[in-house]
Amino acid sequence: MSYTLIGRLQTRVVSALPALLVALALQRWWAIELVALMLGIGLLLDVAVYHSLLAYQPGWAAVPLGVLELALVYSAMRWLDLMAPLRWAFALYAIAWVSAQLFAHALFPRARLEYGEAGGELGRAGAVTAAAVAVVVLGGLGAAYAVLPPTVHLHGTIQGPLVIEHAQTLVGGVVKGGILIRADHVTLKNVTVVGGENGIDIENSHHVMLDGVRVLGVSMDGIHVRRSSVMIDDCNVASPKGPWVQGIDISFSMDKEMSMVSGCTIVGTREGIVTHMTMVDVTHNHIGATTLRGITMGEMSMGTIEHNDVLGALGVGIICLDHSECEIEHNTVAGTRTDPGGDPSRAGVAIEAHYFAKATLSNNTVLASPGGVAAFDQATLSR
Amino acid sequence: MRCAIVGSGLAALATYATLRHGGVAPEEIAVFGTHEDPLAVWRTRASSIRQRRMRSESDGHLAPASFPGLAVREAVRRGSPTPLLQSVANRYHPSVDDFLAHGDEVRVRSGWEHSFVPRRITRVRAVEGGFELDGEGPFAHVLLATGHPGLAKPEEYPDAVHAYEPHEYASKVAVVGAGMAAATEWINALSAGAEVISVRRREPVRRPLNVPRPLFSKRGLASFHAAPPEKRAAMLRALSTPSYPPGRAWDEPLRSERFRVDSTARGAEQVIAATGFKQGFWHDPLLADLVAEHDLPAHGRWIVLAPDSTVPSLTDDVRTLSIAGIAGQWAFPAADTIAGAKYAARAFRRRACRTP
Repeated sequence: MSYTLIGRLQTRVVSALPALLVALALQRWWAIELVALMLGIGLLLDVAVYHSLLAYQPGWAAVPLGVLELALVYSAMRWLDLMAPLRWAFALYAIAWVSAQLFAHALFPRARLEYGEAGGELGRAGAVTAAAVAVVVLGGLGAAYAVLPPTVHLHGTIQGPLVIEHAQTLVGGVVKGGILIRADHVTLKNVTVVGGENGIDIENSHHVMLDGVRVLGVSMDGIHVRRSSVMIDDCNVASPKGPWVQGIDISFSMDKEMSMVSGCTIVGTREGIVTHMTMVDVTHNHIGATTLRGITMGEMSMGTIEHNDVLGALGVGIICLDHSECEIEHNTVAGTRTDPGGDPSRAGVAIEAHYFAKATLSNNTVLASPGGVAAFDQATLSR
Repeated sequence: MRCAIVGSGLAALATYATLRHGGVAPEEIAVFGTHEDPLAVWRTRASSIRQRRMRSESDGHLAPASFPGLAVREAVRRGSPTPLLQSVANRYHPSVDDFLAHGDEVRVRSGWEHSFVPRRITRVRAVEGGFELDGEGPFAHVLLATGHPGLAKPEEYPDAVHAYEPHEYASKVAVVGAGMAAATEWINALSAGAEVISVRRREPVRRPLNVPRPLFSKRGLASFHAAPPEKRAAMLRALSTPSYPPGRAWDEPLRSERFRVDSTARGAEQVIAATGFKQGFWHDPLLADLVAEHDLPAHGRWIVLAPDSTVPSLTDDVRTLSIAGIAGQWAFPAADTIAGAKYAARAFRRRACRTP
C-alpha cells in the first residue's frame, strides 16, 4: 500500500477503535492512557518517519514496524510510570496490532472500494470516525488527568505516624513512626520510613503502589499488608529493632487483586517475605540473614517465587507452606544454616514444601544448604 | 436507462460489477459489445502465449471490492496459509485459471447477461442530458472500455505471428520485443526445445508490476496529475518501456545455451512478435471519431482526461463520459491493468450513483 499522509493517519486512528473499546470496557485509566500512548507514538512515527521513508509499504513490514512500536510504547510506559499490568498492556497492544491489520487488509478495502487507490484515506465517514476516536481518547486522557490523585512532595523529616485516607502520591522525604494507608490508589515513591511498629501499614486498600521505599528500625513488620492489593517494587527493609521483625507480610488478601513484590532487599529480619492467604508474585528480591525463613508462601497462598536470591537464612530458605500452591523457579538459595533446635524441617533446608502444600520447582540453584530440597507432612514437590 | 458501457472485455466487466455493487440495477445498465463472454478475448490471448500466472497480485481480480482477494480464496480452498504469506511478501501471483474462474463467478453473480447487448458501437455523440450511441439513447453516464486497438507487428517482419495469436514453436525461433510477453515467449520456446533469438532494441526493465507501486495510489498519482502535460506525457512514455518482473523463475531458463540476444532475426525459422498493442487513440475508430467530432483535447497519443478518468468537456453534473483501459492512461498510468480498470470504474460509479 502506498499511503498518503492523511491516509496513514486516518487508517491509524480508526484502526485503534477496537483497542479503544476494550480500554473503555476495562474501565481503567491506564488502559485509556495506553491507547493514547500507542496512538501518539504511532502518529508521530507516521508523520516524522514512515511517510517519508515508506513510499510503498509491503504487508510484511507490519511485523518489524509492530515490534519497533511495541518497544517504543513499552519504553514510554516505563518512562511515564504508566501503571499498567504488563500482560494486559501486551494484550491491548496485540488487539490494536491485529485489528490494524484486519482493518487495513480486509475491512477498509471491503467497506470502501477506493481505499487502496485513495492511499488509505477513508473519505467523509472515515474522517468523522477518526475524529470521534480522537475525541474519545483525548477526552479519556483529560478525565484521567482530572481525577489523578494529587502528588505531595515531602521534604526533610516528618514526625509520624502519617495516616493516608485519600488517594494520593507521596514522593520523597523521611517519615518517623510509620505510615498507615487506608485508601485506594495510594502511591509512595522514594519515601523512607524510620521506626514505629509497622513501617508501612496497609489495610483494606486497593491499587497501592510502593516504589523505592526504605524502611528502617521497625519493631514488627517492615511492610504490613492486610486485605489489600499492593505492588511493591525496589524496596529496602533493614536494621530491624528486635528479633520478631518481618520484612514484608501480605496476608488475608485472597479475594483481592493479585499483589506483587519485586526488586526488594531485606536483611536481618525474622522472615524476609511472608504471605498468608494471598495471591502474589515474589520475584527478583534479595533476602539475607533471616532467622526463621527467607521467603514464606503460606496458608493457602498461591503464586510464583522466581529469580530471588536467599542467602544465609537460618533454618529454611524458601518454603511453600500449609496448603499453598507455589511455582518456585530460577531462585538461588545459598548458605542456609541448620537451626540448632534439631527439627529436621529446619535443618538448613534451601527449598521446602510443608503440610499439604504443592510446590513446582524448576531451574533453582541450591548451594551450601545441608537440608537441600525437601517436603514434609504430606506436602508435594514436583519438578 | 442511466448507464452504458461500451466494450465487452475485462474493464467492461469490472465496471459492470462495480456499478452493480453500487446498487445500480441491471435494467439501468446497457453493455454494448461483441463478446457475450467478457473473458473470451483475454482468455484467447493468455492461452496463445501460454501464460500460467498473472503478473498482478492478490487483488488483481474483477470483483468490485479488493477483499477478499485471490490469495484469500486460494488459501481457503487449499486450506493453507501459504498464499497469504506469499501475498504479504508481494510474492503471490494468482494462476490464470484461478483468475478466469473468479472472473466467471463475477460475471454470473453480477447478472452481466441481463444487460449485455451484442452490438459494436461506432459513434458516440454528446446530446442534451447524455450521450447517444449509434443513435440509441441518450444515456446519462457512458464508460468507454474499448480495449487495445489491435496487435502491433513490426513492419520489418510482416510474416511474424503475434504472441497473442495462437501458434506453435519452430526449432529456431526469433522473439521480437523485450516486455512481459517476450519474456514469456522466450521461456515457452525454450521449454518447447527451440533455439531462441531475442531480438530487442533495448535492454528490458525489470519491474514487479507495470508501473511503480506508488502510481497505483493517490500518493503517486497526485504528483502525476499535477504535472504539466509535457512532463506527464514523458512519464507515460517512460513507463511504456518494455518490462517484466525480476526473479529466478525468469532468469534461470535464459542461461540455456539455446538462448541468445541479437539485433536481427537472421536465421530464424519463425518470428514471434511480442510487441504488444498499437499505441495511440487514433487506432481505435470509435475514439478517433469521438475526438474529431467533439474536438477533444489530446496530447500525443493520449486523450486528455480528468484525474477521475472522465472527459472534462463532456462531463458535468448530469452526464459522464469516462474512458477505461489503455485509452485512460492520461488519468491512471496503469490504465491497461485490472487496477486501472477498477480505478475508472469506481470513479464512474461515484458519478453514476449520485445522480438519479
